Amino acid sequence: MEGTFREHLFFIVLCLSVLKGDTRYIEENDITPEGLYALLNSELKREIPETLIYSRPLRCLDMVAVEGQFTFTADRPQLSCAAFFIAEPNQVISVEYDSVDIDCRGGDFIKVFDGWVMKGEKFPSSQDHALPLMERYVDYCDSGTVRRTVWSSQNVAMLFFRIHTAGSSFTLTVRKPINPFPCNIISQTPEGSFTMIAELSLGHLNDFPIKRSIPGCAGAGDFVELLGGNGMDPSKMFPVADLCYNFNGPAQMKIGCDNTVVRMVSSGKFVNRVAFQYRLLDRQELQRIKVNSVEDFCFTG
Amino acid sequence: MKPVPLILLLATVLLSSHIPHSVCRPRDLAMFDGHGYKSQLDEVLLKAGDNAVSYLIGEKILRYLQRNPRLQAGLHPQFPFEVTPLGSRGIGHLARSLPPLEEQRALEEGNSLEDLVEMTKRNNDPPISIDLTFHLLRNMIEMARIESQKEQAELNRKLKLISSLGRQPSSQQKKPFHIVSDL
Repeated sequence: MEGTFREHLFFIVLCLSVLKGDTRYIEENDITPEGLYALLNSELKREIPETLIYSRPLRCLDMVAVEGQFTFTADRPQLSCAAFFIAEPNQVISVEYDSVDIDCRGGDFIKVFDGWVMKGEKFPSSQDHALPLMERYVDYCDSGTVRRTVWSSQNVAMLFFRIHTAGSSFTLTVRKPINPFPCNIISQTPEGSFTMIAELSLGHLNDFPIKRSIPGCAGAGDFVELLGGNGMDPSKMFPVADLCYNFNGPAQMKIGCDNTVVRMVSSGKFVNRVAFQYRLLDRQELQRIKVNSVEDFCFTG
Repeated sequence: MKPVPLILLLATVLLSSHIPHSVCRPRDLAMFDGHGYKSQLDEVLLKAGDNAVSYLIGEKILRYLQRNPRLQAGLHPQFPFEVTPLGSRGIGHLARSLPPLEEQRALEEGNSLEDLVEMTKRNNDPPISIDLTFHLLRNMIEMARIESQKEQAELNRKLKLISSLGRQPSSQQKKPFHIVSDL
């Protein structure tokens, strides 16, 4: 019968197209961070006149907080170089390779790290970052494309590079697109104030005070913790205080550590908000101020 | 058409379609070699590349050398080196160039290196890292912030200049448009 013959024919054609591979690839239709930032920052694609682009050489050890073009030229073999990038709390970092003249096969590399890593400890910690550790390193030599842009997930990023031959160089353009959902932040200033808001739930707003009968916040889905430590990784820091109930009065704490972290964990069922101020203490104040200081586990005198 | 010939046709088409052989080949044929752990170490080092596995192995080697100072005599004049991520080839050469250990220590060192090999296989988690004090880091942040503020001020100044140039007063005043009615 002709009807069934047509159906069979269509079925064969379908199978053939499947084999050809047309339907074998899954299209990525979800919004990737790159896509999102590109969308939100389309004004950056406009041609900015060259005189307005900040440009300077990149040093083997460098800290960059400004947008612009940075060129590193090796005058001698440089085997361990690192550049830190930091932006405002509501920005991320994008690194674009403009021109790269290095010898990948000879052991040269340029790697962008999504976060900061020092002495083996990374910020944000693995538990607070969406990507597994290996994916946070993006190696220029691995990419097949000549021109690539790498975006960070938070306001800090790093570059590690090694160049064996004098004369090799590379140029990067660093931009700081706005981040609509800042989550992990390193502050640039020795003092400041922040309000962290987690409005992740799409449902109702729960406004009742939560009173915990169990001391401590173990097992709470929503809490704020104050951490202190001498490393970069918040998951390796010591908890100084934790809060898992509504708290309105100001409370002050002194943390005698190199780094202090205020970390808010939200289950998504509630709208959580924490507002805090901080100030870097100098040595004198550190010794003088004794109020609310948990035994100085970091500060050894 | 009858279902059976159709199925046969489909089967023929599927079987004759080209599937590249490389898809099914095991990734690393060397896995099937029965060599000792030295070659395992080589592979791990090569795979790890320039990252802190070499950092960690470098540290182990350094500690081993420190424990056996007489071995340093026969080594490259660069030693003792600071523990920075060495090239994988460099570390490989280094590991191989170390003379065989004494029996007593051999087991313990062998075990620790073996552990390292296992660790890197199990958990490919070697970050390239840098060693700075936070005091230095804070100073660098401060300097970068000043640079950023200066540049922002400079940019504002340039933009202001450009926008003021664009607002030049016109030489000809536009005449107001009058409607004159002669009614």
